[in-house]
Amino acid sequence: MDVLQSSNSVTRVDGTAESGRHEDQPRRQHGDRILTGREQYLDDISVPGMLHAALARSPHPHARIVSIDATAAEAIPGVEVVLTGERAAGMAKPVPHFMDPGLAGGLNTADFGVLAVGKVRWVGEPVAAVVADSLATAEAAVTAIAVEYEILPAVFEAEDAMRAEAPRLFEHWPDNVIGHLPNTEGDADAKIRDAEYRASARITSGRHQPVPMETRGYVGSWVTPDRIELWAATQNPHVLRTRLADMLGLSEERIRVIAPRMGGSFGYKFVGFPEEVLVCLLSRLTGAPVKWIETRADELLAGGREFTHDVEFGFNADGVLEGFKVRSVGNVGCLASWSGWGMAAQGCFTYPGVYKCADYAVEVIPVVTNKAPWSGFRAYGKEQANLVLDRIMDLISTKLGIDPATVRFRNFQSSEGMPGWVHNKHIDSANYAGALTKLLQFADYDGLRRRQAEARKQGRLLGVGLGYELTPEGGEMFDSLTRGHDSATVRVHPSGTVTVATGITSPGTGNDTTIAFVVAREFGIDLDRIDTIQGDTDRAPYGFGIMGGRAAMAGTAAAADAAREIRRHMITFTAAEWGCAPEQIVFGGGSVRATHDESKSMSFEELASSIYRRGSNGSSQSGITHADLEATKVAGPDNFHHEPDEQGRINFYASYPYCAAVVVVEVDGETGVVTVQECSAVDDCGAVLNSNFVDSQLYGALAQGIGGTLWEDLPYDETGISQAQSLKEYLLPRASDLPAFRVAHQETPSPFTRFGTKGAGDSGIGSGMAAVLNAVNDAIAPLGAQIHHLPLSPPRILNAIKAAGEMTHP
Amino acid sequence: MTTTEPDDEVPTRTIRLRVNGRQRRVTIEDRQLLVDVLRHELHLTGTHAGCYNGDCAACTVRVDGRIAKSCLLLAASVDGCELRTIEGISPEGELGDIQQAFWDSDAFQCGFCIAGHLFAIEDLLESNPEPSDSDVRQALTGNLCRCTGYTNIVKAAQLAAQRRRDAVEHT
Repeated sequence: MDVLQSSNSVTRVDGTAESGRHEDQPRRQHGDRILTGREQYLDDISVPGMLHAALARSPHPHARIVSIDATAAEAIPGVEVVLTGERAAGMAKPVPHFMDPGLAGGLNTADFGVLAVGKVRWVGEPVAAVVADSLATAEAAVTAIAVEYEILPAVFEAEDAMRAEAPRLFEHWPDNVIGHLPNTEGDADAKIRDAEYRASARITSGRHQPVPMETRGYVGSWVTPDRIELWAATQNPHVLRTRLADMLGLSEERIRVIAPRMGGSFGYKFVGFPEEVLVCLLSRLTGAPVKWIETRADELLAGGREFTHDVEFGFNADGVLEGFKVRSVGNVGCLASWSGWGMAAQGCFTYPGVYKCADYAVEVIPVVTNKAPWSGFRAYGKEQANLVLDRIMDLISTKLGIDPATVRFRNFQSSEGMPGWVHNKHIDSANYAGALTKLLQFADYDGLRRRQAEARKQGRLLGVGLGYELTPEGGEMFDSLTRGHDSATVRVHPSGTVTVATGITSPGTGNDTTIAFVVAREFGIDLDRIDTIQGDTDRAPYGFGIMGGRAAMAGTAAAADAAREIRRHMITFTAAEWGCAPEQIVFGGGSVRATHDESKSMSFEELASSIYRRGSNGSSQSGITHADLEATKVAGPDNFHHEPDEQGRINFYASYPYCAAVVVVEVDGETGVVTVQECSAVDDCGAVLNSNFVDSQLYGALAQGIGGTLWEDLPYDETGISQAQSLKEYLLPRASDLPAFRVAHQETPSPFTRFGTKGAGDSGIGSGMAAVLNAVNDAIAPLGAQIHHLPLSPPRILNAIKAAGEMTHP
Repeated sequence: MTTTEPDDEVPTRTIRLRVNGRQRRVTIEDRQLLVDVLRHELHLTGTHAGCYNGDCAACTVRVDGRIAKSCLLLAASVDGCELRTIEGISPEGELGDIQQAFWDSDAFQCGFCIAGHLFAIEDLLESNPEPSDSDVRQALTGNLCRCTGYTNIVKAAQLAAQRRRDAVEHT
């Protein structure tokens, strides 16, 4: 592991962030472009001759497509083509899954065409596409397409879908269950049975949505037969190119995928959506570039996180968890090629989180229904395990009257044996108790409890809640294009400016700046001499894009390796020029100089230029040429165990960051409204390369965790129509809904990554959710009330209070 | 869209606007929203469309001095108006003080929603040079941001306000 050291060192011990940005660390590169509206996002792409696409969507949750008559639509002036599923199927192979359940062994799967063929399974499923010379004409033509449907019985709730008589979504499946995913160790039944105390709970999570402020969109240009250009709002441009090559039978060289700056993503813009290839087909058919931009209502179709967890656990009088069982049913909507259902699997794997409990039995059951499919969403299911585990901690606390922090300290996994196997995971490093200790001080936990005691005396419902999460990061699926490592090409130009091109993409997290920063430091030059290229398959080396906090583990390592190789070549050249030993040459302050002779010095620009002008001949005998000023490296974390060990364990996550949060809420007992007064968190994502960017991501994740617990939900009516089709129904947190977040970091470096980083993308969601759930329950505890049904909306809270009142005063 | 009216029969008109100090003349369809005219006809793509429903404020512009969500305005309704978009907040190559404070405070991530926040804070500081954090949050209730949790946006507003007060003290 390298420790980053320089005059503007980026490693720091205490990362409290109350004074705003840390001045010693770089700001976001090219922030001025964004702040002046000059950055380009997908919908800003306009290509000469570009046409516009709109989709005809199913109004029925489950129906057979009897016929599609596009005659009237095609007759509208300006309409170029109407494409149906049957015709599209003749032009492209089925859309590959982001993560095919069929590859996981024994799970049910299905193929999905570019547009529905034969049958629709959710309201909003695309059945036809129209291309016209304006979006308005395309949208008008969509309404002129006559589709005859034979309506089939539909099912929307997971428990209903699991009944034997339930309508079957996929005829070739034995039921509506993708599979039963286990994560078991020891003998949970026996431990719970023999425990001094036993308890159970049912915890449900609403149907959530990533809601990046920019929806998805694509511009496809397949005007000449052997060249496709696709501009895509995607996290994984190279992988998308490979998928297009496969679906369309073209070589990758003939396809260019360009991912402009993303307007947020949060897992929503993983590959796997049929519209990626659809715009290419539409372009081929019309001989013109075609743009499709998702509407907000379309975007709000995608779901995630809709789980019911039935939890049973046993513990002793000290509050030590002795065994637990969880049966989680995930209503994953209809299976699709999209990136969502896998969240059930990753949630399952995350148990037992940060806690030491060697006897547990978890079963997660992803069930398909006639709701719209899931897409990936930040924390990717891990938040569900953390929500359940941290609720268990508080239920133990409440039962025994032991402070919830104390209960956690008694249950944390120790750092012993790390790095190494801990339960089902190969953990890099951790100090779980350390982070909670730091949080309790940082947030003045004792003071909060005193404040709560005062408030309770006044009859106010003030609650303090802790949440703790383990967020496995940097996942690598064996034999797939979900990889742990990534690539970087570094190129030094004759002017002494530097390009770093990487397969990592940035949804706005700042990794582009951090990767450039790593390269700048290797050469001892200013950050503004570096330009980073991301998201262009013609300009960047093959890479896997962004997911699971991998940028700081893989992208920085590859960039540093490439820069170091070039620096070695530059040293070889300079040593030959100056007739000195390579180790006497140092880089810094924008120049290269000899340590033994002050007269020997030149600027980095001069050095670069010299190699172009004199390399391999002239006075230089070094053999270095300007070809040596370009290097491509692949690097990444080293903690994957794809071969099962003697206990059958595999480890497919690079690192295991964690985060502790505390939330203070006040519940209005008359209205059921929850006010979030405070939220503090301490995370450990290993070494921090830029605490501004880590802080900022954590603020956003905490906001998303709070939003999911209190407000966000996509309810369906009994006819299978989502009731949240705009941001007036899907309630994102606004500035006035949230407190000022306070965060700090504990840094236990990973021994498996170049700079000791662990990944910072997901932390804050699970701990934020659990902390709010626990805080609200803590607030209403004096009334004898309890609530486990997310979102914790005012009517539900009032019902919980009312139910408690009825129990005490029947 | 429920009309099946063909495009070539859509009523059009030519409107005159002063945009970021420049006189512009643009032929529009009567049904076109201001956000679409700015983005697609005038190529001022810094104004973003996040919802077309007035919920997110990514499309905020200034119309005759008042901030407005341009997805809720028909372009035809602003004929003759003076407009300022995010591209016109500061002269090319420079940053205004609020923009600078946003950068210095790491107050954006993906940047898609930024125009609305900049204009809302500009309005706030105009009327309230010493806002409380709560004032800042209230001023942002019409805006959405999914990346930042608003913490650094509030800090940026306070930093800009502080710098303005410091500048007044030093003069």
